[in-house]
Amino acid sequence: MSFLDSYIYYIGAFGLILTGLYIILVKHNLIKVIIGLGILDTGVNLFLISIGYITKGTAPIFSRPEIDSEHMVDPVPQALVLTAIVIGVAVLALALSLAIRLYQHYETLNLRKIKEQKW
Amino acid sequence: MVNPVLLIVVPLGLAFAIPLFNLFWKATAKYVPPVALGFNLVVSLLLLPKVLENPVIVSIGGWRPPFCINLVAGPVGVLFSAIIALIGLLVSVYALDYIKEGPTEKYHMLYLLLLTGATGVVLTGDIFNLFVFFEILCISSYALVAYSRDKAGIESAVKYLIQGSVGSSLLLIGIGLLYGQFGTLNMADIAGKINSASPISLFVPMVLLITGLGVEAAIFPLNAWLPDAHSSAPSSVSAILSGIAIEVGLYAVVRVIFTIFGASSIFLFLAFLGILTLLVGEMCAFSQNNIKRMLAYSSIGQIGLILFALAIATSYGVTGGLFQLVSHTLSKALLFLTAGYMIYRVGSSDISALEGMGRKMPLTCLAFTIGAFSLIGLPPFIGFPSKFLVVQAALATKETYFCVLIGLALLGTVIEGAYFFRVVQVLYFKGENNQGSKDAPIAVLVPVFIFVVLIIVVGVYPKILTDVLSSAAAEFLNRMNYIGNVLG
Repeated sequence: MSFLDSYIYYIGAFGLILTGLYIILVKHNLIKVIIGLGILDTGVNLFLISIGYITKGTAPIFSRPEIDSEHMVDPVPQALVLTAIVIGVAVLALALSLAIRLYQHYETLNLRKIKEQKW
Repeated sequence: MVNPVLLIVVPLGLAFAIPLFNLFWKATAKYVPPVALGFNLVVSLLLLPKVLENPVIVSIGGWRPPFCINLVAGPVGVLFSAIIALIGLLVSVYALDYIKEGPTEKYHMLYLLLLTGATGVVLTGDIFNLFVFFEILCISSYALVAYSRDKAGIESAVKYLIQGSVGSSLLLIGIGLLYGQFGTLNMADIAGKINSASPISLFVPMVLLITGLGVEAAIFPLNAWLPDAHSSAPSSVSAILSGIAIEVGLYAVVRVIFTIFGASSIFLFLAFLGILTLLVGEMCAFSQNNIKRMLAYSSIGQIGLILFALAIATSYGVTGGLFQLVSHTLSKALLFLTAGYMIYRVGSSDISALEGMGRKMPLTCLAFTIGAFSLIGLPPFIGFPSKFLVVQAALATKETYFCVLIGLALLGTVIEGAYFFRVVQVLYFKGENNQGSKDAPIAVLVPVFIFVVLIIVVGVYPKILTDVLSSAAAEFLNRMNYIGNVLG
């Protein structure tokens, strides 16, 4: 059980990352691919958070003496994730607006049927 | 002394001010990017002599590195930011006339953001900050590719976005793994601690970082988005994507390999990958009928050559690689700009449609020809000294495999010559001579003329650049010096 206790977040994170990659590579529908991108992003964010996480940790507030410094989580990955979430939202919003335009042009979201550009 | 932070802050601030300007006075929006980039060019050129002696390290928030986010304005950073500002300035002057349709203020804002992101990537000394600036660059280029809103643009933007954001996610995982091992995000600090980790635990983050950044740098198996995106974007955007965006991606790859990992064992692999990229790019370019697609594939080829030269990893090799990078940036931006106006005139981007343009738009076609000859590597243009330096560096290693690979690279150059001469022949020696000549407007000819002057001047006196380039090469090769400079 101790193995699961200490690695459960990493397992979850890489599970999400692989699920996301699988969806992006295999699915034909653009909306599904965008969902895959979202899942991939979430997996990466969970991974970053779990790097700095301590079991039963709490926020690192140095002005409050009742918080023991050994139980503080690393705040840097949280700051990173905050930034990464914002970036992810921007990419997702852009992807969805492109999907709308793509549908207006081709009347389909099936990426296998959209083949005007090729090598 | 000028603070290098201004190089990022001023264009970033002005980019977000563009919608405000547009609200009150519609005509101003398009003049903001030239102003901001002109400012950047002046600041970079002022900084350049200083940083050649001693890199300027800017710590943000009053903490010392490695605890703060820092900017490293070394020879490489300032050289790149000067190039970005120069090309950006010239292309934005071109865009004054070229971009007429659609929500133009958004174009100018995204354009400035793209260049801010690029400047940030080359100046930052913090790997997560590098990721953030990289995302600014990528997101604005996804949007700019789709700017014209036609079928091809949207489709390529979707492709570019999907591949690019998977690449960014891989990059972020790599950064996370590095942070998990070393507890720091400062590139110099990671580089200093890298020897304490076991090689096997460094392999995965290195592969993730190279793959993630390699998508933007268009290294061979990761470049499926490039020909579509570069050929369906508006020509001014193609010039920036080909001239700046992929070079910045390549800079990031090289910074990661040389400075952070100091991984001398994969140089041969990179050299091989570079030549593969070169041959694939040139061979695909040869078979294109669309002039912009041809130029886009030729960019892939050139990136391969630059990667090969950098992977030689001698002082000569890296200098040659950086020289080739500058030469490609100038020539390819010129080619896209002139080709863009020719396409605008004839309304088609097929090479056969450009018959006889040499008589209809003599100056534009002359500039295109100069750009093409420079890219092939004919004297007296800038492509000649840069390619010469790369060949010399490869032969100077006296290693059999480098000599074989440079032979293949020269084969690529022959293919390159073949397809560029074919276009030049179509421009000048085909079609009837019955239409009067009417050249591009002055806002287009001025930047084109400056590009031509730069290409010829540097081609004749390569000494202007080689000093700066060799100290930039020294910054890449001497990582202990970099670490010492940043951490003090």
